[in-house]
Amino acid sequence: MTQRDIIVQADDIHKSFGTVEVLKGISLQAKTHDVISILGSSGSGKSTFLRCLNFLETPTSGTVTVHGEEIMVKNGKPQNARHMETIRARLGMVFQQFNLWTHRTSLENVMEGPIQVKRETRAEARDKAEAYLQRVGLEDRMHMYPSQLSGGQQQRVAIARALAMEPEAILFDEPTSALDPELVGEVLKVMKDLAAEGRTMIVVTHEMGFAREVSSEVVFLNEGRIAEQGSPGEMFTDPKTDEFRRFIAKAM
Amino acid sequence: MNPFEILAQYWPRLMDGTLMTIKLTLLGAFIAALVSPGLALIRVHALPIAQAPLRLYISFVRGSPILAQLFLIFYGSGQFRPVLQEWGLWSFFRDPFNCALLAFALNSTAYQTEILRGGIIGVPRGEIEAARAIGMSRQKVLRRVVFPHAYRMSWPALGNEVILLMKASALASVVTVFDLMGRSRQIFSRTFDFSVYLWAALIYLCITAIFVLLWRQAERRLSRHITARDKSHGTVPPLKETRP
Repeated sequence: MTQRDIIVQADDIHKSFGTVEVLKGISLQAKTHDVISILGSSGSGKSTFLRCLNFLETPTSGTVTVHGEEIMVKNGKPQNARHMETIRARLGMVFQQFNLWTHRTSLENVMEGPIQVKRETRAEARDKAEAYLQRVGLEDRMHMYPSQLSGGQQQRVAIARALAMEPEAILFDEPTSALDPELVGEVLKVMKDLAAEGRTMIVVTHEMGFAREVSSEVVFLNEGRIAEQGSPGEMFTDPKTDEFRRFIAKAM
Repeated sequence: MNPFEILAQYWPRLMDGTLMTIKLTLLGAFIAALVSPGLALIRVHALPIAQAPLRLYISFVRGSPILAQLFLIFYGSGQFRPVLQEWGLWSFFRDPFNCALLAFALNSTAYQTEILRGGIIGVPRGEIEAARAIGMSRQKVLRRVVFPHAYRMSWPALGNEVILLMKASALASVVTVFDLMGRSRQIFSRTFDFSVYLWAALIYLCITAIFVLLWRQAERRLSRHITARDKSHGTVPPLKETRP
């Protein structure tokens, strides 16, 4: 087996909001083709950790390295904003609430990053956007505004928007939690396909099925620390900690 | 004289005044529109201490009559003529049109700043995060996400502000600017026929009506993405199987 590159590496991430320490030292490594599911009950810090990876939250301490490049922090802020932005552009992100730009059509949403950030030509960006929208099954919704789409469709546009940046890894922040139950399937299906393609993904989720069947590694957070970590096969059949045992018992 | 004779005789002057009113209003509103986005951002993001001077200026403008502000600039500048001459600014303040324009621009800036501030606060946070997450710079986030939303939400209030400014611009006639009001007063002082004010009122009404129409067109463009939903009701083919 060839050596896989380390795409995202987090070392000893701490994050406090005021006096409350939400993350108490989390380290994680995502290599090419890894699909890492991050589980944990609400308040465990899993979303905060994910947001630290692309600096939507600045870690209080600890380092984030993306493909060998470290984002330097000084006085609680990224030292070089431009450098941080270029690194962000290499990590896609999909949000719980989709966060599509509501004043732009699906197509414009997907074209926006390539044109504005990667400085591609309109024609180039358009071709690519059409291809990715087709990829998520929305070729007939290209010229609609987010308000005209269902939640599941919006989330698929959001995934296409992330893909259009051709990111080295994609971060998913509870991508199905805001969806009606009958719409969860279509989004999970797209995510499974992406995993099968070999994309590097870090997924904060409540979908046990996804974590168990699709991910290559499961990380269980509890009170700001990694309580348990391993392959889904081992962890789900033979949980090592009481916390995780209780967690899956409740979830299933 | 009957009202139509007044109009027949004096319409060139009334038109002249109308153009001056439009010029004064649009220029004032435009200068304010250039300055207010930056000030609105300061109002939203800067530390309270840093924005103290701005807040003082805004409460002064909002808390005093625009006529008082106009007099302050027009008569005040006369008071400081030697200083202004020394700085080479006297030629600007000597012209009553410039004084009126400055007063209106300063006035409208304060209002437009506060209106836009409301719009900026209302921009959905998630959309800003999505823009940051995709790697946009701060400026790009402002240009591509924050201001498009902020202007759409502020648009009706901004239109209102321009209309109010247009009517307030009649005050310029007090400091010898011959705008529509100034011309009407001039005509009245010759004819003692009050119907000239009726014509003036009608012209103001026409300007406002045209402005409202244009503004509404622009508003429609800005809110396409919201009206799209209602319009598409029934016209979009029933959901096809779109699953991948």
